[in-house]
Amino acid sequence: MQDEESLVRRAKQRDQEAFAQLYEGYFDKIYRYVALRIGDRMEAEDITQQVFLNAIKAISSFRWRGIPFSAWLFRIAHNQVVDYLRRKAKRPAIPLDESLVASDHDPQLIAGQKLDIERLHSATGKLTPAQREVISLRFAGELSIAQVASIMGKSEGAVKALQHSAIVALRKTLSVA
Amino acid sequence: MKNSELENILDECLERLVKGETVEQCLQRYPEQAAQLEPLLQTAQAVRKASAILPRSEFKARARYEFRSALQATATRRRLPLFSLRPRWAMALMIIGIVLVAGGGTAAAASNSMPDSPLYPVKLATEQVRLTLTPSDMGKARLCTALADRRVAEIIYMANRGDAEQVDAIAQCLDERLTMLVMLVSAEKVEVPAVEGAPRALTEEPALAPPPAPALPPAPSEEAQGDGDVYAGGNGRAELRMIVAGCACEHPAALRAALGKAPESAKPALRRAIYLSVAGYERALAALD
Repeated sequence: MQDEESLVRRAKQRDQEAFAQLYEGYFDKIYRYVALRIGDRMEAEDITQQVFLNAIKAISSFRWRGIPFSAWLFRIAHNQVVDYLRRKAKRPAIPLDESLVASDHDPQLIAGQKLDIERLHSATGKLTPAQREVISLRFAGELSIAQVASIMGKSEGAVKALQHSAIVALRKTLSVA
Repeated sequence: MKNSELENILDECLERLVKGETVEQCLQRYPEQAAQLEPLLQTAQAVRKASAILPRSEFKARARYEFRSALQATATRRRLPLFSLRPRWAMALMIIGIVLVAGGGTAAAASNSMPDSPLYPVKLATEQVRLTLTPSDMGKARLCTALADRRVAEIIYMANRGDAEQVDAIAQCLDERLTMLVMLVSAEKVEVPAVEGAPRALTEEPALAPPPAPALPPAPSEEAQGDGDVYAGGNGRAELRMIVAGCACEHPAALRAALGKAPESAKPALRRAIYLSVAGYERALAALD
């Protein structure tokens, strides 16, 4: 990806190619983040799409004020997830399944990942909301501590503490040796 | 060792793992903390591996296409200058001019037009004028509900014609109207936005005379609630809530029903419209509570 600031500047001017590059750079990460947060394949797909459609609508309002573009985009995703979770109680969710994994992967790897995904989704459900958000942003979204801190409005030290406590809690739940 | 020190070391090791180091290499860097770090790093590695899921390739291709289409639609809408950058009073005068020149029948005919009709921009502009000239926030909010009803009918109509791009564009307009409704009932001052997008309608003739708008469940009467300010008092809010609650059930249901009949090409856009309508009405009801 080109220099992100320059891409964002061009995207704000409705440069389609620049926006498309940003889209390609973040699509998988946003999808992983959403999928891990909500545990529903169809909804994760719809929400991921909606995140980028909302980004098209809102890009003109984005300003470089020390907040990275990734933080802005994940904030949109976070809001979409929160909106979805508020409504979730009204209808049953489709559980995470093997279709979360790309169909062109090695079957044995898929089998291994399937188990891990299910366990991870279940395990993150036992974390506090803040711990769950840190794990989702750090591991699914692949964001740095600084970026997570920016999205969550917390200090880097607080995010590191949440990350530590979340991993300790996950270790107990997942029983990883 | 302080917790914060371990937290820093753990984070540094996590960054190193991302860059390709092994758990063993990390532990060698911090032999004194190795016993504490090892289980945490093993867990982190397992979490990272489990998180490395990929979207289905067919979904990714479809999403990419729709994203590009939405970008294209935005660019097209921005190129259409009709009314969009004019002061609202100038626009009101323009509409009055249109009515005087073409006769009241034009505006009346436009009120039933669909997005593929040449009269559709007149319909949008007329709506904009009505919003501008409606004096109270509650009156505007009621009009927003009626306009949302129109957008839903248009979405279903365009979905039946397989025009996903227009379905997306109108769904965004629906979302904007519901957002405006929320802001109005939240007693926030709202500047009436520019005319909603009318992609393609200015230049393209419809291939066929538009069939009648799809039948929706009973909708709020625009005549009863649009321009007038009958319900501006406290009861008006309660009545508006009843109308919005009705729409919150009827509109998503009508869109879901359309999903069964729409061509495959329009279904993803229709699903997004359903999502937007459900979310929009939930926000509106929450704001009215």
